[in-house]
Amino acid sequence: MAKVNTGRNILIVDDESESAILRAVRRRLEEEGWRTVVVEPEPGYSVGEEFEAAALWSIEQDLPDAVLLDVRFGEHRDDQFRGLGILGEIVERWPKLPILMFTQYAQGPDRETAVRGSLQWDSPVDFIDKLASPDEVVLRLRRLIGTSPESIPIGNNILLDVNARLVYIGAGEDRTAALDIQGMKFEIFRELATSWYRSPGELVAFSRLERYSEGEDPRASLRVRIREIKDAIGKAMNTRFGPSELILNVRDQGYRLVPPK
Amino acid sequence: MNRLLTSFKIGGGVIALGGVVSLVLAPLIGEKVFDFLWVLEPLTYIGGALIVAGLGVAVASYAVAERQNRSIQGLNGQYAGNSWSETTLQYFQPFDHDLGRPLRRIAGKERELRAVMRAAPGVADPGVIDLLDEIERQTPNFRLMMSNIQVLIQLESPDKDEPLQPVEPTEVVRRIADLYTAVAVEAGKEITWWSEPAELGLVYANSNAIEHIVTNLVDNAVRYAGTHVEVKLTKNPSHFFVRVWDDGPGIAQQYLQHLFDRGWTPEVVQREEKSSSGLGLFIARSLARRMGGDLTVESDNSADGDHHTAFMLSLPSNLTAPLNGLR
Repeated sequence: MAKVNTGRNILIVDDESESAILRAVRRRLEEEGWRTVVVEPEPGYSVGEEFEAAALWSIEQDLPDAVLLDVRFGEHRDDQFRGLGILGEIVERWPKLPILMFTQYAQGPDRETAVRGSLQWDSPVDFIDKLASPDEVVLRLRRLIGTSPESIPIGNNILLDVNARLVYIGAGEDRTAALDIQGMKFEIFRELATSWYRSPGELVAFSRLERYSEGEDPRASLRVRIREIKDAIGKAMNTRFGPSELILNVRDQGYRLVPPK
Repeated sequence: MNRLLTSFKIGGGVIALGGVVSLVLAPLIGEKVFDFLWVLEPLTYIGGALIVAGLGVAVASYAVAERQNRSIQGLNGQYAGNSWSETTLQYFQPFDHDLGRPLRRIAGKERELRAVMRAAPGVADPGVIDLLDEIERQTPNFRLMMSNIQVLIQLESPDKDEPLQPVEPTEVVRRIADLYTAVAVEAGKEITWWSEPAELGLVYANSNAIEHIVTNLVDNAVRYAGTHVEVKLTKNPSHFFVRVWDDGPGIAQQYLQHLFDRGWTPEVVQREEKSSSGLGLFIARSLARRMGGDLTVESDNSADGDHHTAFMLSLPSNLTAPLNGLR
């Protein structure tokens, strides 16, 4: 899979960064193209205090694109909610830095709810529980960081290049541009891909797509363009996409991208 | 009043102590003092009666004081001692953390193994992949169950309403769709969600409660759907709505009225092993009503292609609250 976030850093602040669950998350983040930096303080008197100091120092030194921050550091009573204290310090000093809190359960203790309530509603802070799949973690981070990627890989064989305004088919050196997908057709495909990249199940309503169609019957015009996009990609991949493949019409409400298997 | 009760407590204690002293001294001094054997018995009786009376006064004083204490604190909305639900919650939280630990290890190892197998495609037996998928599928189920227990305990605490906060319902639904999309895909199903209008905006609500209700609805829908689950967000000037639709076999009309009963699942009717606790919909409707909204269901179980089930959650947007300075 093509990496789309090269050069972006995610700082991981967790006393169990070598646990299997964290390793799986880190592997998935690296697949995404992010570089993971793990805070590893020298062992000291208090696990929580050491991590707090090391995390703040690390952010100061090398401002990351986002922080993945644990709530609980060790078993000591004072460190049960240490991460919330660290969160407070970070928000105060770097209010725009996206932070994903790694909790036991997202709908967990009242103190987390209280912290959520004490933040500005648009603070780039979110909570996710540690059992969340690595894919979920990636989706949350994408939204927290908020910037649109320069390219979006759709499955293994389709790559949308936002800057070049081209859709590439194939993998590696065999990759070629599908030149039939340009102009309005590219915009339609970009809308669908961007929405899918942000949240795989999100439908793009007709009202949003019809601005890229024209004529007396924009819905019919849109239908034709969608068919042309599917045919162009199918031709380049030596296949033909059926009604429920690649771009799906959902109960006459809009369209949704379904990456080919 | 308190001083009077304290006097009663002390008085009762002194009387009871006098009774004990009388009982102890009766065999020793009763005979000498009165020089008659028959005097012994009356003194014993008097001692016993004093103990009973003294303890009665002391216990009654304590009971009255305790009741008075609770009624005063109840008026303030706070109990010095914890209510049953608060105590349970306090015990549950560390338990919650400890119970999650082995599951995090299992899920972590499963994900590592999956990564190893992805690195060497074609080597693994498809049966092994099915087993790994099953572990991954059970993870959201476990997350929801733990969350259900927690919310159920909180529901028992009538004084503990969380304050309203600005919430983007679109973001809440997006998170839930993200969580269940992978589960649905592995089961050969798919989730589609959208909002109308596309930018639904903010409402003032309890974010945790919305997330909890919709998670239960989507979990249910993914379990019973044929191939499709749809989640649609809409709004009017006073409320917002989340409709969770699935193309499953539908629910017979006679069972619809029991759907929100605590512990009811379709397996109850079929006398089969339960696949869920039957708490999810009960909790979801209780939470919705507690927030001034409602949760309703509509279903068609006809044999033709139109069979489906749709849950409609309606909740007040509370958009006037900030203007009235009620936040």
